[in-house]
Amino acid sequence: MDSQTNIKTVLLLVTIIALISIGFKIKPILKNYDDFNPNVVYKVNYNYFFKSEDKNTVVKSFIPFSNSRQRISAKKSKSDTTLIFSRQVSKNKNQKGVWRTGKKNTYHTLNYEFIFEGKEKYFQIPKQFNITSEKYSDYLKSTDNIQSDNETISNLATQLAQNTANDGEVIKNIFDHVLSIPSAPIITLTDALTTIKQNRASCNGKSRLFVALCRNLGYPARIKGGIILENTDKRTSHAWAEVMINETWVSFDALNNHYGYLPANYLEVYAGDEFLITHTPGIQFDYTYQINELNHISFLKMNSEELHKLSSISLWGIVESGILPKNALSLLLLLPLGGLLVAFLRNVVGVKTFGVFLPVLIAFSLLHTGYISGVVLFICLILLVGLISYPFDKIGLLYTPKLVISLTIMVSLMIGATMLGIKYNITWLTTLTFFPTIILTIAAERFSRSTVEDGYKMAIDKLFQTLIATTICYGVLSLSWLPSVLIIFPECILLIIATAMLLGRYIGIRWVEFYRFRPLFS
Amino acid sequence: MFSRILDAKSRQKSKVIGLNERNIKLIYPNNNKKHYPLADDKVLTKEILHQYNIPCAQTYAVIEYNSDIKKAWETCKQYSAMAIKPANGCGGGGIKIVKKDQSGNWTSSGKVISERAIFQHMAATIMGFFSLGSHDRVLIEECIEPHPFFHDIYPAGVPDFRIITLDRVPLMGMLRMPTDRSDGKANLHQNGVGIGVDMKKGRLTQVYDGKYYYNHHPDSKFIVKDVAIPYWKEILEISVATAKAFPLNYLGIDIVIDKNKGPQIMEINVRPGLGIQLVNKQGLKETIENKIK
Repeated sequence: MDSQTNIKTVLLLVTIIALISIGFKIKPILKNYDDFNPNVVYKVNYNYFFKSEDKNTVVKSFIPFSNSRQRISAKKSKSDTTLIFSRQVSKNKNQKGVWRTGKKNTYHTLNYEFIFEGKEKYFQIPKQFNITSEKYSDYLKSTDNIQSDNETISNLATQLAQNTANDGEVIKNIFDHVLSIPSAPIITLTDALTTIKQNRASCNGKSRLFVALCRNLGYPARIKGGIILENTDKRTSHAWAEVMINETWVSFDALNNHYGYLPANYLEVYAGDEFLITHTPGIQFDYTYQINELNHISFLKMNSEELHKLSSISLWGIVESGILPKNALSLLLLLPLGGLLVAFLRNVVGVKTFGVFLPVLIAFSLLHTGYISGVVLFICLILLVGLISYPFDKIGLLYTPKLVISLTIMVSLMIGATMLGIKYNITWLTTLTFFPTIILTIAAERFSRSTVEDGYKMAIDKLFQTLIATTICYGVLSLSWLPSVLIIFPECILLIIATAMLLGRYIGIRWVEFYRFRPLFS
Repeated sequence: MFSRILDAKSRQKSKVIGLNERNIKLIYPNNNKKHYPLADDKVLTKEILHQYNIPCAQTYAVIEYNSDIKKAWETCKQYSAMAIKPANGCGGGGIKIVKKDQSGNWTSSGKVISERAIFQHMAATIMGFFSLGSHDRVLIEECIEPHPFFHDIYPAGVPDFRIITLDRVPLMGMLRMPTDRSDGKANLHQNGVGIGVDMKKGRLTQVYDGKYYYNHHPDSKFIVKDVAIPYWKEILEISVATAKAFPLNYLGIDIVIDKNKGPQIMEINVRPGLGIQLVNKQGLKETIENKIK
């Protein structure tokens, strides 16, 4: 056997082994396929401690339920046997957990646990809203804490609605006004009017004022209560607002600046101006919310243990150990795949790029910066550094020191832009530092050399091709399920080697060569 | 686009060689990487050419260290014209042609240049300014005067022949000519034009400018079709001799015709471009198959 055949045999074996190993896992995975695809998963515990008094004691707490963007599962109530747990549905379709005890003067702990799987949600806000039906009249009423018919609020609302062309602009004005009120960690109840007077408020004051202003102008609105889930124990719950727009409750958080957007880690618990916990007055009471983020594979309805049992050949163990953050692991796994993609683009399609792995690394940066602003920044950086280095090319400097100058300019630009971004609050400018500096510098240097050697047209053409390759890499690498697939099927890495070997022996005409040699084909 | 790729199979008939196939089938098996410097380093190339008595520009001096510049200059000063090149330059960067004018001053590109400026240029070359940072050598050689044949086609710049050889057999050839837009350079991608060569007859065929074919030079309008190439037999002979002298089996050999001395090897290339197929309207695969038959 010659070395060619040896390589072929090894390749074939590697591929077969990888495919068999994948095959064993594919059935249980298909069986557990989950089309909910949550962005985040948390385990949440309500922990309540209290001492019952001389009479019957009741503790009530809203409990969350599943809807289109959050899934609540594995609900468990644990407490001592003297506490009787029951569930009731109250107005606004809210669900309440009720714990009663007749045992007097004793200490009690109760614990309500559930798993939250959440997705972020963006709402489209139309310019003109349809007139809402009678059934939402409750959401237009003035209340003790949401004084929507109060004169001060009325004046403010009228003022905000002035010079607006449509409903969308009115809501935006109200939102911007409430957002501009300084925030303060005020724990006590702040009503809508007090929020105006104090000109500072926490989430509950801001959301009440937002709702009051909406109601005053005839838009049905309500308070929404819940918890912002983070990997920590906390005692603060959160309130935001919802406006009824064309038969949909649209979320607005004027404290954290979420306009028509609900982040994935917002646990929705109840609707209406309520308190998350109520209890018999006069008892000793304390509480914490214990929140743990869980690792998950977005498209699988399996918990950690089930995933462990799935196969010994999976990287779930690394994820679980927590030593390597999941993001870093994803990045590591996606790198060879991105490389393969670039190899394909260069050798089969014939795209010319500055640097071999530049498109992959830039695509990773774009995941942080966002595609459009990232691409604009990328082009600006390369052009700017390329142009600034041009006079240094002319002076006649040695190659390596010249590269150092380019690198320094690149770093200065990045830091400068970040500082400007922070000063004038321009977020996209502050994302610059996500770019891999050295690679970017080399690309800029190649660009400036290319302008000298091949002329501006060719250099810009090559920059454009680099951008196309980057866009394709971004398209593939931004698929959210991809890292999860690679974690469950690390055998894919073996397949990448096999594919790369095939690519390495590919002698076909590159796609762009069909164009280049077209006179010879016709 | 996609339909084009899908019927790629049927198009294989055209026998065009692409970059992938050139690398895997022609360069990797025929040119051992350890011999690349023989082609990439002009000083090494010329050493071999001189050794086998293959005609090429006479070497006046090779300078390796800054301290040798003045000494080398003393021996070169006697000549009235010379080409100063970096041994490992890329893309034609760093090549300086200096000539003596009537009053005995040195000139470069039509302007008077001081000896000091020439020395600085050499020092910069040695420090690697034209060869991506690595230490380099300066090659000073005879300045070749193009044969009048070239001037008939286009009167300026540096035209040359490119002959592709595989296993010491000349496969394909072209004449590269500067144009009004190419700034004296003859490279296809620097706006020069390529002129196809009928290898058997030693005659020019058609002109290709990267987009269109003509039977005349686009600027001078000189009709090239069927024009006989002077010294064609010698050109083929020195190509074969060069291919035999080097342990590289797939080569692009660049040849100029000197007014007085006839064909001269300029340099050799281990990764010759594929545009020559377009210039000759023929795929290299087809040429190779024909030669084997």
